[in-house]
Amino acid sequence: MGTNLFEKRLLPRRKFLEYGLKSGIAIAVTPPLLTNLFSCSGSAMRVGPGLDMDKATLDRVIAKALSQGGDFADVYLENRNSRQIVMEESSFKSGLYGISQGAGVRVISGDKTGYAYTEEITEENLMRAATIASYVARNGKQIQPVNIETAQRKTFNTVKQPLEAIADSRRIEIMERANQAALDYDPRIRMALIEYNDQVRARVMATSEGVYLRDELPLLFFIVQTMSDDGNNRHMSRERISAHSGFELFEKETPEGVAQRASREAIAMLDAEDAPAGMMDVVMENGWGGVLIHEAVGHPLEADNIAKGIGAFTGKMGQKVATDVFTMVDDGTIPNFRGTIDFDDEGTQAQRNVLIDKGVLKGYMTDILSAKQLDLPRTGNGRRESFRHFPIPRMTNTFIEPGKDLPEDILRDTKKGLYVQSLSGGSVNPVTGVFNFTCREAYLIENGHKTQPVKGATLIGSCMGVISNIDAVGNDLDFGPGICGKGQMAEVTAGQPTVRIRGINVGGSRA
Amino acid sequence: MDYYDLAARLVGRGRRLGADEVEVFIQSSRNLSIRVRNGDIETIQESDSGGVGFRVLVNGSMGFSHSNDFNDRALTDTLQRAIAFAELTTPDENNTLPYDLPYTEVEGLYDPAIAKVAMDKKIDMALELEALAMKDARITHSSGSSFGEGETEVIIANSRGMLKSYKSSACSVGVSIVAEKDDQRHTGWESSVRRYFEDLEPLDKIANSAAKKAWEMLDPQMVRTQRAAVIFDPAVARSLLGGIIAAINGERVLQGASFLQDKMDERFASELLTIIDDGTRPRGLGSKPFDGEGVPVSKRTLVEEGVLRGFLYNTYAANRAGTESTGNASRGGFSSLPGIGTHNLYVKAGKHNPQDIIANTNRGILLKGVTGYGINPVNGNYSGGATGFWIENGKIIHPVQGLTIAGSADDILNQIDMMGNDLDMNRSFTSPTFRIREMQIGGA
Repeated sequence: MGTNLFEKRLLPRRKFLEYGLKSGIAIAVTPPLLTNLFSCSGSAMRVGPGLDMDKATLDRVIAKALSQGGDFADVYLENRNSRQIVMEESSFKSGLYGISQGAGVRVISGDKTGYAYTEEITEENLMRAATIASYVARNGKQIQPVNIETAQRKTFNTVKQPLEAIADSRRIEIMERANQAALDYDPRIRMALIEYNDQVRARVMATSEGVYLRDELPLLFFIVQTMSDDGNNRHMSRERISAHSGFELFEKETPEGVAQRASREAIAMLDAEDAPAGMMDVVMENGWGGVLIHEAVGHPLEADNIAKGIGAFTGKMGQKVATDVFTMVDDGTIPNFRGTIDFDDEGTQAQRNVLIDKGVLKGYMTDILSAKQLDLPRTGNGRRESFRHFPIPRMTNTFIEPGKDLPEDILRDTKKGLYVQSLSGGSVNPVTGVFNFTCREAYLIENGHKTQPVKGATLIGSCMGVISNIDAVGNDLDFGPGICGKGQMAEVTAGQPTVRIRGINVGGSRA
Repeated sequence: MDYYDLAARLVGRGRRLGADEVEVFIQSSRNLSIRVRNGDIETIQESDSGGVGFRVLVNGSMGFSHSNDFNDRALTDTLQRAIAFAELTTPDENNTLPYDLPYTEVEGLYDPAIAKVAMDKKIDMALELEALAMKDARITHSSGSSFGEGETEVIIANSRGMLKSYKSSACSVGVSIVAEKDDQRHTGWESSVRRYFEDLEPLDKIANSAAKKAWEMLDPQMVRTQRAAVIFDPAVARSLLGGIIAAINGERVLQGASFLQDKMDERFASELLTIIDDGTRPRGLGSKPFDGEGVPVSKRTLVEEGVLRGFLYNTYAANRAGTESTGNASRGGFSSLPGIGTHNLYVKAGKHNPQDIIANTNRGILLKGVTGYGINPVNGNYSGGATGFWIENGKIIHPVQGLTIAGSADDILNQIDMMGNDLDMNRSFTSPTFRIREMQIGGA
C-alpha cells in the first residue's frame, strides 16, 4: 500500500531482514517469493504470449521506449512460480502457492531513469509501459537501438533434480525429518518452526544494445528455527540453507543437520548471561558473520551512492583503506550459491570482482547506469527483486578472502573480548558507513578461551574503523545465506573466515 | 474490471471445485513514484497492479494460493492449486473463516484529489523540497527528494456470506540530504505521509527538519561507558514498542514464545505507559473499516497504566485461544496469509513538555536514532546502537554517536518515569517523548 512508499524509497539504511516467528517482527513484506508446482502452469493459459514474446515485438517496444530520446532502454519479462510450506508446533500450518508474471520497460537518459511495468504481457501493454517510461527522456539525445539477438552467457548453476518434478510429499518429508531431529535433540527444545520455500524464476531480457537473454533460475530456501525453554530462559535460534539448485541440495545438507545446528544454538544460549558494554576486541567465527562485511563495507562499495558523490568510499579508489590482511571479493560465479544468478538482471555476465585487495580499494560494484556515470566497467551487479522494480547495484556472494591464521590461534591470542559465533543481521548507513549488528550467539573470551555465553548484544562501528582494525584473518572461509534489503529484496550469501576486529563497541546491559 | 462481482463468483467456483470454505482476497493498486536529485528528475515509476489470494479449507485443512493473472482459466487453475495444497497441511478445527459482521464506518480513507493533481505539480513539489533542504550552507549533497502516491482497493468475499470492499489512498513527499564538515558526513531525512493531499505538511517544514537532522549531528563526542537516563524521542519510540506488540501477538502467546505470555491483567510496565490501538481514526494512516479477513476493527486499550489488558488476535488465533477475533488480522497484500498486526497504535500522551524532560535530566542521552531489532519478543532482551545528544545538568551539550544501549524489557519498561505531551497522531505507530530513568550505555 502507498503508505510506506516513501520509506521504501528513501530509507537511508539497508537492512538484512530478520526472520521472526510467523506474523512476528519484520517479515519481508515486498511482493513475495513465488513458486511452481506442476509444469503445466506455463504460459499456455496466459493472456498474450507471456515470456514467448517474439523478438520483433520486443524490438518495437525498445524503439518506442527510445522514441523521445534516451541512451539505453530495456524490456524485462518475468514469470515466477513459488511455493512456501510452514510447519509450526509439529503441524503443517500453511501451504502457499503463487504465480506472478509481468514485464517492465526502462529508459535511461543521462542520469534519469523512467520505469513502468505491466502484469499482463501483451504488446499493447508493453507499448503503453514504454510510453510512460519514455517520459523522462523528453529532449534527451537520440540513439538508434540495435536489433536484439540471443547473446551467450556462462552459467554457474546446475540442476539435477528439478523442483517442478518433485512431489510435494518429498517436501513434507524433509520438513518432518527436520522437526523430529529438532525435538529429539533435547527435551528443552519446545518448538520448531520450519519454513520451506522454493521458486522458479524465468526471465527474459532485451536491451537497446541488442542483447536478448532467456533463462530460468530455481531457488531453494530452507529455514529452521527452534525455541528452547528451561523455565528460566528462552532462546529462539535459526539455521538456514539456500541454493540456486534442484532438490539435490538436501543430499548435501540433510534436514537433520540443519535442525541439529539450530537446536545446538538454542540449548547453548539458555545459559546466556548479560553481555558487557563498551569497546572490546571481537573474534567472529567463520561463515554468516560475513554479513558484517556485507553491510559495513559491501553496501558502501555499491556504485550508486558513489556516482552520487555521497558514498563513504567516494574518491578513495586505489587508496589504502584497510589492513594488509584484508581482501574482499564479490563473486557471482560460485556454483549454485544463493547469490549466483549467472548474469544479472540487465544481462551482464556475472564475474568475480575483487573490491579490496590487501587493503587497497580496487573496485566498486556497478549496474549499467552507475558504470556509465562513473566510466567504470559493468561488474554484473545490476539486480532487481522482480519485474516491479528496476535494477540497482546489488551484491551477490560477498566475502573476505581466507588468510593464513589458524582459527584456534586467533582465539588463543585474544586475551579478553567477545567471541561472536553467529549474527542475526544488521544494517548500515552507506553514506556515513555507520553499521550495527545483533549477535545471535556470542561468548566471552577470557585468557584466549571461549567461556560464558552472553545475551544478544548489538555491535556498532563505522566501516572505515572496522576494516582498519581487522588484524587477523583465518584460513577457514565459510558462507551463509541471507536476504538483503535495499528498497527491494535480493538473495545473497555472505562469507568470511574467522577474523579478529580490534575495538568494536558492544551493547551489553552490564558495565 | 468489476472485482466485486468477480470475488463473489470465485467463492462459488471454489466451492464447486471441492473446497468446504473459500475466501477470496483481491487487491488492486495504482502507484506513482517520482524521485528528483540535483534539480532534475532521477526516476519516474508508475504502475497498476493487482492480484487475488485464495484461502480454502478442505476437511479442516487450509491451502492458499495467489496469482496476479485475472484470466479466467488462470483463476481456476490457481483455485485448484490452493485446494490441492490443502491436502499437505494438518487439519485444525481452529481454521475457520469469519462471518460477515457489520463493520465500522471509518472516514477519510480515500482522497480522489491526489490522482487529479498534475504530474508537473508533483515533480515541482519534489524539486522545491530538495532546493529548500539544500539552502543551508552546511548541507553539501542531496541524496534525492521524492513524491509518492498510491491507491488501493481491497475486496474480501468468503463462503460465510461476506462480500465487502474499501478503497484507500496515501501520498508522501520527502527528502534526504547530507551535511559535511571536514571528514564528517551525516545524513538527514524527513517525510510527510498522509491519506489526503491537502494534509501534506508545508515543504519548508519538511526541508528544515531534514536539514537539521543532518547538521545537528556534526562534531559528535564520545562518552564513557556508564549507566544514565535515556530519553526516547518520538522518532525512536518504535524501537521499544515493536517488541511489546510482537509479544502480545495472540499466536506467539499461544506458542509460549512471548515474554508477556503470563502477564494478562498484571502490571509489567510503569503506570505512565498506556498503549491504545485505534483502527477507526478518521484519515488515520493505519485506519480501515475491517481487517485482513473482513472482521471489523475497533479502538482497544492494550496496556492500561502499565497493566496488560489485551492480546491481538486474528480468527485462527482467537479460535485457538477460545475467544473472539480482535480485528487484528493483518495482510501483506493479496499474496500473503492473514497475520496479526495493529492499526494506529499509540502511547497515550503524558503531561510533560519534552523540553522539561531534558531540563529535569541530570545526565543522560536524548535518543534520536536507534538501530537493531528492538526488544526481543521471545525473552525481552533489548540492545541497540544509539545516536543523539548528550545531556548534562539539564542541558544538551553535544551530539553523540556510536553508543549502545541495553537492558531487559522488565527493567526498562518499569523505569519509564516521565511521559511527554508531544504525541503526533499522523503516524500509524506513534508515541510522545518518554524517559527511562537509567539504562546501561556503552561507549569509550
